[in-house]
Amino acid sequence: MTSVTTDMAVATKDSPAVKREGRDRRRAFMLLAPGVVWMILFMVLPMLMVIYVSFWTQTTFAVEPTLTTASWERFMSSTTYISAIGTTLRIWVIVLLATLVVGYPVALFIGLFVKNRTVQTALLVACVIPFWTSFLIRVIAWRPMLGTEGAINLILMKLGIIDQPLTFLLFSEFSVLVGMTQIYCVFMVGPITFMIARIDESMIEAARDLGASFWTIFRRIVLPLSMPGVIVGAIFVSVMVLGEFATAASLSGRKVNLLGNIIVSQVGSLKWAFAAVAGVVLTVIITAVITLALRVVDLRKEM
Amino acid sequence: MLKLNGITRRYGGTAALDGLDFTVPDDTYVSLLGASGSGKTTLLRLIAGFEEPDAGEIVLGGERLDGKPPHRRDIGFVFQNFALFPHLSVQENVAFGLKHRETGAIASGSELTDRVAAALDLVGLTGFGHRGVGEISGGQKQRVALARTLVTEPRLVLLDEPLGALDANLRARMCDELRAIRERLKVSFLHVTGSETEALTMGDMVAVLAQGRIAQAAESTMLFHQPQNPAAARHLNAWNLLAGTVTGGALQTPVGRLPLPRPLADGTPAQLAVRFDQIDVAEPGAVPPGQDHFTARYLTGEFNGPTTLSFFRADDGELIQVVDHMSNPRLPDLEEGKTYALHFSPEAALLYEGAA
Repeated sequence: MTSVTTDMAVATKDSPAVKREGRDRRRAFMLLAPGVVWMILFMVLPMLMVIYVSFWTQTTFAVEPTLTTASWERFMSSTTYISAIGTTLRIWVIVLLATLVVGYPVALFIGLFVKNRTVQTALLVACVIPFWTSFLIRVIAWRPMLGTEGAINLILMKLGIIDQPLTFLLFSEFSVLVGMTQIYCVFMVGPITFMIARIDESMIEAARDLGASFWTIFRRIVLPLSMPGVIVGAIFVSVMVLGEFATAASLSGRKVNLLGNIIVSQVGSLKWAFAAVAGVVLTVIITAVITLALRVVDLRKEM
Repeated sequence: MLKLNGITRRYGGTAALDGLDFTVPDDTYVSLLGASGSGKTTLLRLIAGFEEPDAGEIVLGGERLDGKPPHRRDIGFVFQNFALFPHLSVQENVAFGLKHRETGAIASGSELTDRVAAALDLVGLTGFGHRGVGEISGGQKQRVALARTLVTEPRLVLLDEPLGALDANLRARMCDELRAIRERLKVSFLHVTGSETEALTMGDMVAVLAQGRIAQAAESTMLFHQPQNPAAARHLNAWNLLAGTVTGGALQTPVGRLPLPRPLADGTPAQLAVRFDQIDVAEPGAVPPGQDHFTARYLTGEFNGPTTLSFFRADDGELIQVVDHMSNPRLPDLEEGKTYALHFSPEAALLYEGAA
């Protein structure tokens, strides 16, 4: 009895199935290795370092590796910084909603109403055309558009709709919102379009045949089936908006202070420990937002 | 009763349907038989309202349907790929029409539950309501698709190759069940298929769609025994067609002169149709008296279980098929490449006027 079992064990040890499994596993590790090494060296270690530095002692022009909670206490007790968190969250929510409101109809049009795959691709590429110029140019181009003597004010005054130029358009939170929505909208459009384009045409016909009107079909079929796209788009937009500083820096006239702007200015004045605190806070917020987003839709089920 | 009058549908320059007239009677199982690309799916889509005809009218129970959007036509459509909603459970799929239709939506939860349960009972899926549509087999998906359509009590049910996605075993069983379900509901089914056996099995009435028109619509045995025209005969995949011209009181075909079942004027083009199972094979020169015959070379045989299909090539290249039943064998042992006399009783032949 024992010998039989041993024989079988020996026989299966070098069986082609076992060898194939081993080869597949080795190949998986090889594919994974560069990514893992990269992430450890340039993400995990620096993150740990940032957390560590946030507890260092900050003097006027230097940081010393003596552990203290001083930077944390200063951050948490300062209304400026706490309100920066508020501003960051407020701008994130508004930009997220704006990109969704502007982006979803575009995605719906490309994914559902354009039947031709070539035209679909062409339209998606058209959405990316603004990215052919640099980030800074895209942002700064809003100045001649929104300024007191900018295009919008000029047109409105020529039409006689207003007599005084609107001043809230530029160097305000409004201009930051407009700029960010324009830049990040495409990251919402892409994933939603792909999800909607995957919906089988016959499914929509079936729903119509069962008596449902267009709006019911949108609410009951298209919207639920496109939710994974909305979540992926929302994660893209959130991650980018929460870490933003450049749009605020060039369009807000220093009136809007995001966590990103604080980090930039603190690093600029060599306040490393303090910048590290803001960095940790920002990372915690982004992690929380992504976790929340993934809770809403089970992406594993949808992929 | 559904009446189609002069339905035409063009795609670009080509007409998929060309002045089609057709009537689907009440309380009848109608099979629509057509080759792929014959426009049979187009016809269903026009009736359901997913497309509109370029000309003609669609009338159901005295009411014009064309021009109405699909969700106001009250017609059921069962898709070949089932088109179930993947994010909803079996129960929610079946309830969709009742709950979300534009007019007459049912709000009462208990009525919904009851009617969905009754529909699932009808298709033999009792207790499957809570499953996800990804967790059931192809045959069960087919039943869910059927229940989802039937629960809304449509005035007519269209089935687009409903058995195409099922394996052979399941197909035979669904055939019986579809007929049984229809008989219980007393609503007409219009079942589109490319398979002549499926069409003949399912249909109380079978309609043959060819060249954008209905070639013939008749009760299934009637259609099988008496196809009215070459197009209908060809689609049944059971008739050999021999084309020729009438000369001197006989049909001059490339395989030889064949007597006419009824007299036609000289010079008339005509076709003779003989069913696969009504041709006998004999050595040349050994044709029994009173039988018409022509000669052809035996190519090969195809063993199909209870029947054998033998292929012959006539001198003009025409392929002739002969069916032999295992329980009642008529054919001698055939030798490949040898020429035989194929003979048939003059009464077995059908004559069609007109060129092939």
